[in-house]
Amino acid sequence: MAHIHLGEGSFPLWALALWTALGVALIAVVVDRIRRGGIETRQIALAGIGGAASFAIFQLNVPVWGGVHMNLVALVGVLAGPLLGTLVALVVNVFSAALGHGAVGLLGANTLVNASEAIVAYYAFRALIRMDWDVFPASASAATVGLFVGSVLMGAIVVVSGVNGSALPRADLTVAVAGLVGLNLGVAVVEGVLTGFVVQFLASVRPDLVGLDGRRGRGESSGVTA
Amino acid sequence: MERWKQYLGFFGLVAVSLAAGVWGFSATGGALPWAKRSAQALQRGVRDGGGALVDPGRGVVVAGPIRNGGTMVEFVGLVVLFAVVGIGLYVYVDRYRGLDDEERATK
Repeated sequence: MAHIHLGEGSFPLWALALWTALGVALIAVVVDRIRRGGIETRQIALAGIGGAASFAIFQLNVPVWGGVHMNLVALVGVLAGPLLGTLVALVVNVFSAALGHGAVGLLGANTLVNASEAIVAYYAFRALIRMDWDVFPASASAATVGLFVGSVLMGAIVVVSGVNGSALPRADLTVAVAGLVGLNLGVAVVEGVLTGFVVQFLASVRPDLVGLDGRRGRGESSGVTA
Repeated sequence: MERWKQYLGFFGLVAVSLAAGVWGFSATGGALPWAKRSAQALQRGVRDGGGALVDPGRGVVVAGPIRNGGTMVEFVGLVVLFAVVGIGLYVYVDRYRGLDDEERATK
């Protein structure tokens, strides 16, 4: 959901290099961990489906202050795990930048932002499930928290980097970006609830896909079978 | 955990997020002078260099602030550096995988 919509050249060159290097480092760690640990087939399938859904909803931009949109990366993180969630964040950002949605030079920064959503959402979901939460409040809360972290990180990246050509003092820029972060948090609720419904449905028909096949008798069956 | 406590936590999160969203919406709606100025400044790059990377009408688009700001050399240097690092990583992983497979085969 959080996504930096500034154009090419909006960040100073040092910031562009810094965020790109950090993004490359994150992707390198993720690829290395996938190589060492392997991934399950169901995760690949979920990541593929989730990536397609994410890319589609990524393009539905609400034209408020540079654009706000959902991205479902938190959902992908919950379903496919933090490693594939990070890769999906990269792929969706690459395709979006190729279409002119987000700058190519900000791929590193945007990958960091979206990957943080997937990673935080996944670990928050697992923590809440371990605390014996039901699937819907656990997944909706985890996605909302993940998106919250992504929004704050997005704001921090913009404020730390500064914007080329902006006459705003850093303090004013911080206040302005804080407003955008707040706006994103409002959208995070919508995406969080949507994520909750999707995970709840999947858990009721195929709990094995969500890694919840051990949870039975919680009164969550929707009566739907697949 | 009891269900009402779960939903209490969830709705608390929703309330905080919605409150932040409402504040953000009003703060960035252009009603305040700094909001207008910052929106203009932040979106300057979109006007100068936004759009698809490869545009049939314009070729490969390099951002206006980079093109006009005299940092083309640095920009191209960074692109080449990342390309070299990327190819190097690919080659490294390719060789590393070969060793790893041999190790597995010996096991």
